[in-house]
Amino acid sequence: MSDEELTAALAAALHEVLDPETGVNLIDLGLIYDVLWDPASHTVEVTMTLTSAACPAGDAMVEGIKRRLLQVPDVAQVEVRVTFDPPWTPGRISPAGRTQLGW
Amino acid sequence: MSPAPSVVGGSGLATRYAPSFALIASHFAVGIAGLCAFSVALVLRASQLDGHFFQPTLLGLTHLCVLGWLLPIALGALHQLVPVVFEVPVRSERVAWAALALYVVGATGLIGHLWAFRTSFGLPLSAGILCAAIWLYAIHLLATLARAPSVTLTGVYVMAALVYLLLAAALGFALAWNLAAPWLYTDHLRLLRAHAHAAGLGFFGLLVMGVAYRLLEMFLLSYGASMRAGWIALLAINLALPSLIVSFVFGPSTPVSTLGAAASVVGVAAFLWQVRAIFRARMRRKIDTAWRHTALAFTYFAVVVLLGPVLLAARLAPPWGERLALAYGILALPATMGSVVVGQLYKILPFLVWFHRFSAYVGLKKVPSASELLPEPPQRLQWAVMHLGLALLVAGVIAALPVVRLVGAVAFAASAALVARNLWVIYERKP
Repeated sequence: MSDEELTAALAAALHEVLDPETGVNLIDLGLIYDVLWDPASHTVEVTMTLTSAACPAGDAMVEGIKRRLLQVPDVAQVEVRVTFDPPWTPGRISPAGRTQLGW
Repeated sequence: MSPAPSVVGGSGLATRYAPSFALIASHFAVGIAGLCAFSVALVLRASQLDGHFFQPTLLGLTHLCVLGWLLPIALGALHQLVPVVFEVPVRSERVAWAALALYVVGATGLIGHLWAFRTSFGLPLSAGILCAAIWLYAIHLLATLARAPSVTLTGVYVMAALVYLLLAAALGFALAWNLAAPWLYTDHLRLLRAHAHAAGLGFFGLLVMGVAYRLLEMFLLSYGASMRAGWIALLAINLALPSLIVSFVFGPSTPVSTLGAAASVVGVAAFLWQVRAIFRARMRRKIDTAWRHTALAFTYFAVVVLLGPVLLAARLAPPWGERLALAYGILALPATMGSVVVGQLYKILPFLVWFHRFSAYVGLKKVPSASELLPEPPQRLQWAVMHLGLALLVAGVIAALPVVRLVGAVAFAASAALVARNLWVIYERKP
């Protein structure tokens, strides 16, 4: 799989993981900060945040990302790092996400 | 078929502190059984919703509403909310189960004695068991909160609410004992008012206010609202309640009761202002049935806090004073607190069912969101029938129209059946 194909596959996979309350995917909700690929170890490292430190769905979303990305060809390992630096702001929601939220 | 994947991977996030689903669901089941019993009792006794509030029918109905329906659900929700929001596990799940067992025994006994107005030894015995259960709950939750890594505005509200719960339970026990074997030197109706306000405004009011700030922010994706009005509301309500309780217990004292009434109006006004600020800063524009219930609850709350000082100051003669006092009770309990409880059940139960049954499949297959576990139309129908019933009940009480009260009670009972049906549908959803 080429780098472009892998990038597209990872992005498509992350678009399928939804916030359970709003139904908006994590990319459009602006929760994904960074996605790094290590070709040597076939590891994806995702840096993400939550809308709130006490988000009750946090565990489920982290585990959902791991499960979904492990289904992408070539991916052998997924590491998810949750950070609140910088904290999430509504400005991170994409236009598609805003539409889903009723804007 | 491959086995279901594990639910939580232990990534160190807040949900790992949550207690077992069975503990929360058991509290909710007790509360829904209490709601159904209350709604049937309301229909049976609709013709007697008249006269002075100190009468067997109203004492039985009020305690069935509060102890049967509202309190078990509030306590169950607190056991879910405190660990997740304050990032601290409950001190002991066994203590919570023991408290629930004691609670069911004590509350059933107390409600039964008040319903039949049997003032035998069983009344204070039941009240004592119930008081022990409530103290166990409150002290256990306070001990849990004491271990929280940081205390937020919501945390201070919850702690204050639990202190008033301790007071309300102790006053209730004293009153029950006094009914069986009079020992109070003061007018017991004064203590009854203090008990009712410690429970109503002290526990339920502060709990709803503090938790609303957090849940509104979380569910509506609200961001950046100043919380100053929330702190003002906290200070004002905690000035109002001691003033009101002192004026109730030690007799009417115009400056103290005026201070209490004014501070309660300021407190609720500041709370509503805070809610407005959070609501205006929300990113989620779609408003579902849960928030429609909550919006009406806050409207009822505003009416209650305006009606209270009128009743305190005007000292209306019967029958208007009695009718307005009954309307005040209906607006405060099944209307304000009941609407919040039903609305938040439509948020909390779907999330719990989603988390425990569906979250393990996220990333493996398409799963519904929590809000998709029950369609909106049956929730909307329940919302409409419930608030129609409450409006008719209040109108029937104020206008002294038994037929209107009965129709209102029947509508409310129908809405209770719809709540039970809707929650059962959510509970039964499986991947």
